Amino acid sequence: MPRKSWMYSVLEAVQHEMRQDDEMIWVFELTPPVASNPGKPVINLEKEFGRKRVVNTGIDEMWMAGCVLGSGLAGSKAVTYIPYQGNCMCFQMIQNHAGKLRHMTGGDAEMPIVFLLEMTGQTPGFAGQHSDYEIDTYYAHIPGVKTVIPSTPTDAKGMMVSAIRDPNPVVYLYPAGLRSLVEDVSDEQFETPLDKAAVRTTGSDITIVGSGASMPEVLKATKRLQKDGTKVEAIDLRSLKPMDTETLVKSVQKTKRLLTVDQSYYTLCPGAEVIARVAENVDGARYKRVAFPDAPPPASPEMFAWMRPNADHVVGAAKKLLG
Amino acid sequence: MAKRKEHSQDTLGPQDKDRTLSANRRTFLKTLASAGAAVSLSGKLAWANGEIGYWAKDLSSEKLIEMFTTILRIRWYERTCVDKMLTDPKYRGYNHFYAGQEAVATGVCANLNNSGGVKKADLIYSTHRPSGHAIAKGCDIRKMAAEYDFRATGLNKGYGAEMHIADKSIGFMGADGMIGPGPVMATGSAFAIRARGSKQVVVNFGGDGTYATPAFHGTLNNAALLKLPFIYVVENNLYHQYAHYSYSCPMKDIAKAANTYGIPGVVVDGQDVFQVYNAVKDAVDRARAGEGPTLIEAKTYRYYNHWGAPGAKAGELGAFGYDPLAISSFRPEREVRDWMARDPVDICRSVLINWGVLDKAESDKIEADVKKDVKKAFEWADKQPLCKPEDGLRNVFVEGTVPARQFG
Repeated sequence: MPRKSWMYSVLEAVQHEMRQDDEMIWVFELTPPVASNPGKPVINLEKEFGRKRVVNTGIDEMWMAGCVLGSGLAGSKAVTYIPYQGNCMCFQMIQNHAGKLRHMTGGDAEMPIVFLLEMTGQTPGFAGQHSDYEIDTYYAHIPGVKTVIPSTPTDAKGMMVSAIRDPNPVVYLYPAGLRSLVEDVSDEQFETPLDKAAVRTTGSDITIVGSGASMPEVLKATKRLQKDGTKVEAIDLRSLKPMDTETLVKSVQKTKRLLTVDQSYYTLCPGAEVIARVAENVDGARYKRVAFPDAPPPASPEMFAWMRPNADHVVGAAKKLLG
Repeated sequence: MAKRKEHSQDTLGPQDKDRTLSANRRTFLKTLASAGAAVSLSGKLAWANGEIGYWAKDLSSEKLIEMFTTILRIRWYERTCVDKMLTDPKYRGYNHFYAGQEAVATGVCANLNNSGGVKKADLIYSTHRPSGHAIAKGCDIRKMAAEYDFRATGLNKGYGAEMHIADKSIGFMGADGMIGPGPVMATGSAFAIRARGSKQVVVNFGGDGTYATPAFHGTLNNAALLKLPFIYVVENNLYHQYAHYSYSCPMKDIAKAANTYGIPGVVVDGQDVFQVYNAVKDAVDRARAGEGPTLIEAKTYRYYNHWGAPGAKAGELGAFGYDPLAISSFRPEREVRDWMARDPVDICRSVLINWGVLDKAESDKIEADVKKDVKKAFEWADKQPLCKPEDGLRNVFVEGTVPARQFG
């Protein structure tokens, strides 16, 4: 299997779907749908499918989200890639329209659409508006919209295929800090379910649950804990809505210890929902949350690096739970 | 797409006038001014002719030299920053460079009251390309340089960096990394000013990209409906991020949008600080008199790419060639050089020399002093302390700190 970058894997999935469906639309600003990969042909959706179907718009994320929503309602599959600066400018369109239209119309409205929302990547130095991972909570709260957050290039591809083929509106969160991940990804088109968490390691001492951008640190911490002889069950949520309660509950029934890790703010972070669901179903377990403090990320790398949850924090919190 | 206006200043829409007459009249006024004639055509006469006056002719030599100095301060702040980024491995700062657009910020802020805090100063709202606006408004460049490098004693204590600098004591309401919300907030400030009966005005700087946002309409519509003391300065540098503005605006002149709201829309040569000054003076007078907002489009250009210094060389002005991120549309080197041939520093300098305000030796001395000041500012910044990590939990609310949550 060829090694592929995150964005190459995603655009490969989209290219395949757009070749099958000549009505499918891609709307972008700033970030052209172009990716290259060693040993593979360059993908350029704008060039291949033309500006009628693939459009570079002005800076208007409300319109971008509304455009794919309207396209979906009119019977065309559509995806928009909204870069991090605008990933909440489109909130109303997704929350109050995409999320409610099917229900409000008694099931009449069809919306086979994907909102690919880039999250900034928490780059030190850029400060609040350009370096947070906070929108997972906002979008996961919306009924009627599936909210997924892959953390590997393979899942990024498989979940994009599933999201495009899903008849429901899907918010597909892209933690841009993971853009440099590379792994073996199949050339074939494959689907990854939008409602299943992935158990990355199995173990009986402690369950550690993360999603998206927190996963690399969770996996690093897991390795260190395993070296110390701790049997860690590391779970990647992958889907925030619907949330795979069954996998979470089964795991904590076994380990009785649950640590959640988020790069999102502490209050109402995805981990809070994970803990609530498990606590409703498991007796006698212990819990802890590692998350970004309830403060906007500051520009200063000194402040920022100290606040951002990392593998040390995860190991430290796990030891407190185990001790 | 035309890159340059033949006439540097047009009034569009309801005030559209005979262009030839306007051009002749300006030439006449310039001739008077450059001859040093003690003739001052009153603003009223200019109005009677239905034309924007060449107001810069009435400015004192001190004020004119101050404007020239401001342009140079912006230019050398930027060039020093570029060189630091390219040559100093310890330097961590970055910039969305403003070089090339200096005349716009300078011509605007020369019309404003730049002290006294938010209840007294005129207020400006800046963009993600804020250095020029900040310096023209009067920010301390030492503190700016420290902020750009994330120092604890920077203008905003290392919390904001380049894209979020702010100093309300001089009415610099802040840079903003987003495209859209800034002008809406700016009209909010104008609304409060009108409500409390203050004579302040609010200027919003925005790029050509702001035209595409829904906020552009909300801003001008409400400003016109409520007759707010508000001026929207569109700095049309032809590119929003990495795309030419033809991707986001179906018109050549964004100022035409003013027609929709029944307010003046003015196109001005953004490379000529005095033309900018003239147009903004009319808009400020109008706003202070309670006559409502104005939309000004300054045709200008940035010498660097959207962000950082790709394509730039230390010690040289401008960045050329491909920006790896500019896939949809890129800036041809000839376009960049064409604009650099009408440089705001050169234009300002030659006008002042023609007017007899400065001679070459004086101009060189001013530039040398500015370079020295800027160099000192960056040296001072380099010595400032780094931030304390746990201070990241402060300044979330007015009071107290928020708890650390990263340790579980």
